Amino acid sequence: MYFEFSNPGKILSGTYALENIASELKLLNCSRAMVLSDKVLNDIGSVKTLSDALVTGGIKIASIYTDIPADSDILVVNKIANEYRKVNADSIIALGGGSVIDTAKSLRMLISQGGNDILSFVGCEVLPKGQSVPLVAIPTTSGTGSEATQIAVIKNNEKHVKMEFVSQFLLPDLAVIDPRFCTSMPKRVTAMTGLDALTHALESFYCLQKNIVSQSYALAAVQLIKDNLINAITNGSDKKVRLNMANASLLAGSAFSNSMVGLVHAIGHSLGGIAKVPHGLAMAILLVPCLRFNLDYCREEYERLFLAFVGAEEYVKVEKSKRAEAFIDAIEDFLSSVSKKADMSLKLSSYNVDPKCFEAVAALSINDGAIIVNPRECSKDEIIEILKQCL
Amino acid sequence: MSNIRLSKKLLIKLKSIISNIVLVFLYRAIKVLAKEDSNIRKEFESWENGLSVALKCSIHGPSLYLIKNGNKLSKVNKLESADIIITFKSLDAAFLVLTGQIGISRAYSEHRFMLTGDISKTMSLVRAIDITEAYLFPSIMSKRILKALPEKKRSSLTIYRKVIFGV
Repeated sequence: MYFEFSNPGKILSGTYALENIASELKLLNCSRAMVLSDKVLNDIGSVKTLSDALVTGGIKIASIYTDIPADSDILVVNKIANEYRKVNADSIIALGGGSVIDTAKSLRMLISQGGNDILSFVGCEVLPKGQSVPLVAIPTTSGTGSEATQIAVIKNNEKHVKMEFVSQFLLPDLAVIDPRFCTSMPKRVTAMTGLDALTHALESFYCLQKNIVSQSYALAAVQLIKDNLINAITNGSDKKVRLNMANASLLAGSAFSNSMVGLVHAIGHSLGGIAKVPHGLAMAILLVPCLRFNLDYCREEYERLFLAFVGAEEYVKVEKSKRAEAFIDAIEDFLSSVSKKADMSLKLSSYNVDPKCFEAVAALSINDGAIIVNPRECSKDEIIEILKQCL
Repeated sequence: MSNIRLSKKLLIKLKSIISNIVLVFLYRAIKVLAKEDSNIRKEFESWENGLSVALKCSIHGPSLYLIKNGNKLSKVNKLESADIIITFKSLDAAFLVLTGQIGISRAYSEHRFMLTGDISKTMSLVRAIDITEAYLFPSIMSKRILKALPEKKRSSLTIYRKVIFGV
């Protein structure tokens, strides 16, 4: 057996985490930061909260770029890179969801490697270290875990495809979790992003690339999500609950960054691309059918997850031979509770997904990188069957 | 201190020779199976014309360079760059895969190789290699390294005969 594990440089999590960024940047010999975010966060004042904290700590804001779309692309990255060079910035701070953080990772890749062509770095673990460009990631959603992953996904405008970059040098130097940024998420977004994080934790725990370190992270994430997600939906202003969910997302992100995700994500990516089902929702809809599909290949892992999910008292009440099935039932019950609280259906038919697209979704899914680490081989026809169960 | 022990040198040499042989065998087998096995044919047909692939057993180790030309798969001596480049991090890691001790999925899971190029295009190549391994390795080995045994459209003996003798 053999495994590898990479972590973000440092995690700052909790009250006034934001105010500590300046001193950390100084330790990294930085004084002129470029801030990346999106328009919504700018409008609601989150960018100002960040810039105030930085300036108070003695960091100059070289530039603020908030024109980042939901699906960022190479043209956006190139444009920001020109700006970064023009204003002579020496570090990048990303405040936002997955798209903003992935844009920041791509920008760092481009600046640190020099040149203007990030396409040459598409792939897994081929990126050399390059020039140091400190990157700070501050997530404002609790789901993608991008602040703790060595993965960046960026759209190729010419080919209309999403390109995946995987490298330890994409990991941020600082991952910053500040509860001030987590309380503004609406109920449905909280539910979808939370279930995305849950899926990261579960798939990283039972898929082929699992290892003892990532499994520890995944178990901690599963427990935090079980204990906090419903509270985060019903009582979104509770900073403690929001912080727990943000930490869970980071833990799950780190787990899947090292151990990958499996079938749920392989189908979910394609369902998002073809039928435009939001990612977190796709995860919630596909999770139980995919857990059932993998059951006989993951019994031992499901038993361990069952213990983490329901706790010791409930665990011992179930016969050993039935714990793997009981785990799936427990996840199903949990998803049902979450969907009721968030007023969100977990059926594809509720979102006008036409079953005619299943063939195309399945064809795309078998070429998704996540499928290689799924414990059970899955054919196109089997994916179509799974999708039919989700109608 | 920079001298490598003789035993290590010999072992590397031996692994290099065996890996070279297996790579040639793998190429010939994929070429034969692209005609004989409908599943591999389907994968092969999905590759865009001109697709180039490099399979490197470490940066300086034995390598296999392939190009799809029309309905033909050709082996070339060297490619400056390729659409898909799989580079094993060490010859020892490549040897584990080429001798059927671990499968491609496990090698990927264990970060045994680096991949340059589009990950989705590589999945089809991985499936083709998996099916080829099911023909080349005894079933006891295939069962251990593959997630599922593919249905063979021809007997392994037939494929071996065509790979070795071309008939």
